Amino acid sequence: MAKTRENFFGIRHLTVKYHSGNSIIHAVNDVSLELKAGETLGLVGETGAGKTTIAKSILRILPESSVESVEGDIWFEGRQILDMNDKELQALRGKSISMIFQDPMTALNPVKTVVSQIAEGYRQHQNCSKAEANKRAIEMLEMVGIGADRAEEYPHQFSGGMKQRVVIALALACSPQLLLADEPTTALDVTIQAQVLDLIRDLRNKLGTAMILITHDLGVVAEVCDKVAVIYAGRIIEQGTLQDIYDHPTHPYTCGLFGALPDLDKDVERLSPIEGLPPDPSVIREHCDFMERCPYACGKCKKFNNHMIEMTPGHMVRCWKANEEE
Amino acid sequence: MAALVETQNLKKYFKSGAGMVHAVDDITFKIEEGETVGLVGESGCGKSTLGRTLIHLNESTDGKILFRGQDVTKLNKKEMVKFRKDVQMIFQDPYSSLDPRQTVSDIIMEPLKLDGSFSQEEIKNRTRELMDTVGIEKRLRMSYPHELDGGRRQRVGIARALALNPKFIVCDEPVSALDVSIQAQILNLLMDLQRDLGLTYLFITHDMSVVKHISNQICVMYLGQMVEVCDRKELFAYPLHPYTKALLSAIPTTDIHNRRERIILKGEIKSPINPGPGCRFASRCPYADEGCRQGVKSQEVRPGHVVVCNKAKEINQL
Ligand SMILES: Nc1ncnc2c1ncn2[C@@H]1O[C@H](COP(=O)(O)OP(=O)(O)OP(=O)(O)O)[C@@H](O)[C@H]1O
Ligand SMILES: Nc1ncnc2c1ncn2[C@@H]1O[C@H](COP(=O)(O)OP(=O)(O)O)[C@@H](O)[C@H]1O
Ligand code: SF4
Ligand code: SF4
Ligand SMILES: [Mg+2]
Ligand SMILES: [Mg+2]
Repeated sequence: MAKTRENFFGIRHLTVKYHSGNSIIHAVNDVSLELKAGETLGLVGETGAGKTTIAKSILRILPESSVESVEGDIWFEGRQILDMNDKELQALRGKSISMIFQDPMTALNPVKTVVSQIAEGYRQHQNCSKAEANKRAIEMLEMVGIGADRAEEYPHQFSGGMKQRVVIALALACSPQLLLADEPTTALDVTIQAQVLDLIRDLRNKLGTAMILITHDLGVVAEVCDKVAVIYAGRIIEQGTLQDIYDHPTHPYTCGLFGALPDLDKDVERLSPIEGLPPDPSVIREHCDFMERCPYACGKCKKFNNHMIEMTPGHMVRCWKANEEE
Repeated sequence: MAALVETQNLKKYFKSGAGMVHAVDDITFKIEEGETVGLVGESGCGKSTLGRTLIHLNESTDGKILFRGQDVTKLNKKEMVKFRKDVQMIFQDPYSSLDPRQTVSDIIMEPLKLDGSFSQEEIKNRTRELMDTVGIEKRLRMSYPHELDGGRRQRVGIARALALNPKFIVCDEPVSALDVSIQAQILNLLMDLQRDLGLTYLFITHDMSVVKHISNQICVMYLGQMVEVCDRKELFAYPLHPYTKALLSAIPTTDIHNRRERIILKGEIKSPINPGPGCRFASRCPYADEGCRQGVKSQEVRPGHVVVCNKAKEINQL
């Protein structure tokens, strides 16, 4: 049921299925999230967990030909995104909500100079002259560390990280209210990354820009996020404030993620990956999705009906062990 | 130990509307056989270009590349064929570097087929062996790249790179696109392969904890040039170049209670288009003076620790 919600932005019971050959892919299963203006949420999880699908659902840019169904409720400033018509969506995208794509070339046109692409994007939503748009574009490029003398070059003349920076400039040019950033800094070195994260923090402080940051870099999440949601096989398996997740990681999968990181302060011979692979997305399970890989799996897990357990207010965990440890 | 790969004053320039981009500018360094040299630096500073030029995927503009002491630009046809087998590259995005219409086994066997010196039987056996070495299940033989997860795709890329028994592999951000748990699997695999096959790696990455984990030596690059080279532990314990210090201070940490003191770089980034003489970091360096803008010299300030900064001793009280 479409119902207007109070908060700035939220998702309720989002379920997205794709069809692939003869099977149905359960990409996103009953995901609910909420964001206040200015808040940053880190969305963390393995490849195929459903992160990009969630972001694309918000902008309504899922590939129509392979989508089986999208159910649930997504609202932005009191309006239902899933009910919007094309015109409303057009106004929403790029201006109120913009997305930084995982692969920079999805957002860039190979035959246009980088400066003209940003200027055009800006002019689409802002009533201004060409010269003004150009000025803004160069300003944005400089903000991400690309000098004006490179502005007239084409994407193929840029390194991977430079292309990513152009995409970031493009997404930030219109000062969106909600930014969906899909692995935005993975291709960047840590100094430029810090600069970009500062820029995003600035937007948040000045304009109240909220952000969903999709990443597998737990360090980046720690730097900028207020809240964290860990997603596994299309379901949120742990959710809470930054402190909840980093000080009291509880779900065995979350703990595994922290354990797999190489540690700068320690020297180890071998790293400790989470053994095994994510489960088949074409199968819906009654029991815990992580059971096949979980080092703590036992008879009790088969009886666990896979619901979220609230450990402390707002800190939710989808594992029966969460109760035991209280 | 002898150097397997060595460069002398290597340069690679690209034409751009506004002039020449000095992507790799006067780089002299070497990689010992059986070791891993980690290469880090700002995005766009020339790491990939250096890697590609080293294995002759790019024509160099000037300078020398020596492989086992032999000048790569002077190889005859037969020697070049041999060189092409000895050097390989693994890419960041295994998806775009693998042909989407080929099956896993086709992809891995292609270099063997192109080589022309193996029988059908040998190709089949070797392909099976390679899949085993990198840990791809036999049942995935006929799968296509898009049906695999990122980690397995990267394994396919590695198997293909290994097909002709290379000696030297340029790994260009091979784990950046992977989640932490799969990243750990691939790093373990690369280190096992190095030990078992005696491989030599140039390992490009932005992840400082990864580079510390996998390297013997680490090179820090800035705008086309090396600015600091030393042992991995030495670099983290005694970073001497102002850029390296800023780089290390910017590493995001998962410790939310003890944040590092950040060095925020201010000032304009110098353009790589016709950069001119002097230290390229001067426009952002808090210690820069007139002398730095005139020229910069390289010095070994601690044993085996080379830094290209006029004031390295002074800044670090050495
Ligand atoms: N084919 C090309 N044509 C023109 N310029 C290029 C080309 N390839 C690279 N460059 C330029 O050379 C410089 C170095 O690029 P390179 O790709 O080596 O950077 P990188 O250090 O690998 O960066 P990243 O960390 O972002 O991958 C950049 O200024 C880039 O724009
Ligand atoms: N266009 C598509 N057609 C069919 N399946 C898809 C498509 N896009 C994604 N999927 C599947 O949906 C699941 C979630 O994918 P995705 O949202 O891309 O995950 P993430 O961004 O977390 O890596 C995966 O199983 C993936 O294979
Ligand atoms: S429910 Fe059982 S299998 Fe699932 S995460 Fe918890 S302990 Fe592991
Ligand atoms: S040479 Fe001068 S400008 Fe360059 S890094 Fe050293 S002190 Fe800074
Ligand atoms: Mg994704
Ligand atoms: Mg590169």
